[in-house]
Amino acid sequence: MNGWVGKILRVNLTQGSTKVEELPAELNHLFLGGRGLASKLLFDEVNPQVEPLSPENKLIFMTGPLTGTGAIGGASYVVVTKSPLTGSIACSTTEGYFGPELKFAGYDGIILEGKSPEPVYLSIEDDTVELLSASHLWGKSTHKTEEIIRAEKENPWIARETFITSIGPAGENLVKIASIINDKHRAAARSGVGAVMGSKNLKAIAVRGTKAVSLANGKMFLDSVERAWEKFKTTPVIPQALNNIGTSFLVDLINESGVLPARNFQTGVMKNIEKISGEHMAETILKINKGCFSCPIACIQVTEVEDPAFLGKGEGPEYRSIALIGASCGIDNINAIAKINYLCDEMGIDALSYGSAIACAMELTEKKIISKKETGVNLKFGNAEAVVELVEKVVKREGFGEILAEGGYQLAAKYNHPEYFMGVKKQGSPAFDPRGIQGLGLEYATSNSGVSHALGYLVTHKILGIRGEIDPLTTEGKAPLVKLFQDGSAVFDSAGLCRLLLLGIWIDEVIPMLEAATGISYTEEGLQNIGERIWNLERLFNVKAGFSSTDDTIPQRMLKEPMPEGPAKGQVCKLDEMLPEYYNIRGWTHKGIPTEDKLKSLELT
Amino acid sequence: MKRLKIDFNQCCGCRRCEVACSLHHFENSVNPKKSRIRIYEEEDMFYPVVAGPFNNAECTSKNIFMLGGKEVDECIICRASCPIKPWFKEPDTDVLLKCDFCGDPPEPACVKWCPCQAITLIDEEGKIEVKIEDVKKDFEREED
Repeated sequence: MNGWVGKILRVNLTQGSTKVEELPAELNHLFLGGRGLASKLLFDEVNPQVEPLSPENKLIFMTGPLTGTGAIGGASYVVVTKSPLTGSIACSTTEGYFGPELKFAGYDGIILEGKSPEPVYLSIEDDTVELLSASHLWGKSTHKTEEIIRAEKENPWIARETFITSIGPAGENLVKIASIINDKHRAAARSGVGAVMGSKNLKAIAVRGTKAVSLANGKMFLDSVERAWEKFKTTPVIPQALNNIGTSFLVDLINESGVLPARNFQTGVMKNIEKISGEHMAETILKINKGCFSCPIACIQVTEVEDPAFLGKGEGPEYRSIALIGASCGIDNINAIAKINYLCDEMGIDALSYGSAIACAMELTEKKIISKKETGVNLKFGNAEAVVELVEKVVKREGFGEILAEGGYQLAAKYNHPEYFMGVKKQGSPAFDPRGIQGLGLEYATSNSGVSHALGYLVTHKILGIRGEIDPLTTEGKAPLVKLFQDGSAVFDSAGLCRLLLLGIWIDEVIPMLEAATGISYTEEGLQNIGERIWNLERLFNVKAGFSSTDDTIPQRMLKEPMPEGPAKGQVCKLDEMLPEYYNIRGWTHKGIPTEDKLKSLELT
Repeated sequence: MKRLKIDFNQCCGCRRCEVACSLHHFENSVNPKKSRIRIYEEEDMFYPVVAGPFNNAECTSKNIFMLGGKEVDECIICRASCPIKPWFKEPDTDVLLKCDFCGDPPEPACVKWCPCQAITLIDEEGKIEVKIEDVKKDFEREED
C-alpha cells in the first residue's frame, strides 16, 4: 500500500494483549484515513450510548495517508473517542512528530480498548510492542513523563528518536477537560480525550520506527508538495506572519474585526490589545520558531518568560490561548498568558476549555452569583495570579477546582446560570464571536464534537478575505458555505494534514499530493463526498447517543444580546434564518436527522 | 569548491531535509532513519548533521563546543557514525550511509528543500581548492 501503511495496532488493555490487523483498502476508499477512518471504526465498534469513561469506550489514534510523507502540514493525527465532556463523538487533532513516527514504526493507527488493571504505558519499537508498568510515571507532568521514558532507553541515541504522547495528572484524575500531549506542547486538546486515556490507566505511548512510508511516485510527490507550498506562499501576509509570530498574528486582526471573545464574550473588542498581541509576544518572550514534521510553515513559537512572577518556558501561546485565557479572562499580560499555557500543557489540561471555564466563573463572580467563599480565590476579571493558582486545584480536583474540572458548562449549571457558559454541546466556544460573523454561528451550532477551535476556520473567508470577500453580517448563502467548509475540513483531517493549511490552500492543491502518494485518482467532488460521508456518520453517532436538533444551538448571549461596541455593534447571530436551510442542504429532516435516502447515497447503510 | 554550510540558528527542526534526502536516494520511500542528514534537538536548538565517514572506534577526546552561546556535546554535531552512535547506518541492513551531494545540480536535495535557509550551498573557490600544478611543484621541489 502506498501512502497508508495498511496496518492497525489493536491493544486490549484489560488482557494486556496486542495484535496487528490489516487495514481493508475499502475503508480507505470510503473514509480516506485519519478522522474519517477513526470515526468509522468507533461507529462500528462502540455503542454510542456507552459511558465515556467506562472500559467499553475505545480510544483511537489515527494518522492519514499524507501523515509522515513530507507533504506540507503532513504531521497530523487525530484522537477519536466518545467524549466525557460533551457525550458526543470527539475528534481532537494534533501535529508534531509523534504521528509520522507511528507510521515509520509500521502502523496507520492504534485502537485502545478495555482498561488496564494497573497504570501502564505502551512502548512501540517497530514490531516490538509492549505494555510496560507506568506506576513510576503516574502523577508526573507530561514533560517529566517524556523525560523519564527517554532516560530509561539503554541507548541515548535511540532515546532521542523516540517520540511520546502522554496524559498529565489531569487525565489521570479524569478531569473532563484533560488533553493528550505529544512532543511536550502539541495537544489533542479538546473534548476531554485525556480523561478517556486516564480511565484506561494508560499513561503514555512511546514510539520509534525505522521503516519507510512508501509513495506511489516520489518524483511527482515532491513536485506536488512544492506546488502546494508555492500556492500557500502566494496568500497575502499569512505565510510570513505565521512563520514570524505563529497564529498570534490574528490577535490584532480579530480585535479590529470586533469578534474577540473579550470578558467571556461580553464584548468583541479589548483595550490594551497591544499588550497581548503577537507582535508584542515576538518582541518580549519569543526565542525561536519551530516546525512540525516536514512542514515549512514553521508556525510554532518557542518562548521563555523571565518575569519572576510567571517564570517558565515552553511553546506558544497561540491565538486561541491568547484570546481565551487572555481576552476572555480580561488578562492583558502576555507573560501570565504564556505561563498559564505552559502549565496547561504540562498538567495535560485543554487551555481553551480551562480559559472558557475560568471566564465563566469570573462572570459569575462579577454578577455576584458566586463569591470568594465558593472559589477560594479572587476571581475578578484580569486576576492572572488566581488563574495560575487554580490550574493545580483543577488538576488535583481540590476545592473549587473540583467543580471547574467538570468543565464550564457544569460550573454554570451548578449555580443555575447555564447562560453564562459560552459554548456548544457543553464544550467551550472557539475564540471568535459569531455575532460579527453570521456563518460561524451556524458552524458552531452544527459541529459534531461540540465547538472546537479547529472548526472555526470559516473565519478565513470572512476576516482574512481568502477565497473572495463575503459580507460577514448577512445570513444569505451561509448554509451552503458552512456545509462546503465542514466537508472540506473533514477531508484535511482525514488526509493527515494540519488545519492551518486551510489558511492558504484548498482541496484542489491536496489532490496532486494525495494522488502521487497513494497512486489513486481523486476528484474534488469525490473528496467532498468523502467529507460529507464522514460528517453524516459522526452525526449519526450523535443521534444514536441521544443528541437532537435542540442541541444545535449557541449561547443565548450570541443569539439575543446585541454586541455592545466595536465594528459588530448591534449584531446578534441569526441562527434561525440559517439552520432550516442547512438541514435541507444536508438532506436531513427538519429535526436534523440524516434521511434514509441521504445515508444510502453516501453508502452508509 | 562547493560546500554545505549549516547555520544552527536558522534550523526550525522540521526535518524536511531528511524526507528530501530519503526520497532522492530511495525514489519512492520516505524513511528519515535512512537519511544522510539528520536533525537532532537539544534544549530547543536544532542541529542538522550531514553524514560523514564511519569511524570504527569510539573517540578518546570529547570536547564541549560553544554554539550560539550554548554548550554542545561534540557527539551531537559529529558527522561520523561510530560504535556508540548508531546514526547514518541503514537500520535493516547496517549499510553505512554517507552524504554524496545528491539532488538536482547544483543543489543537493536537502538544500533545495530546507525552508529556513539553515543548509545552504556555498562556493569556496580559491580558498580551499588546491591546484594540481602546485602539488606537482611541491613534489618536484621535495625530490630535489
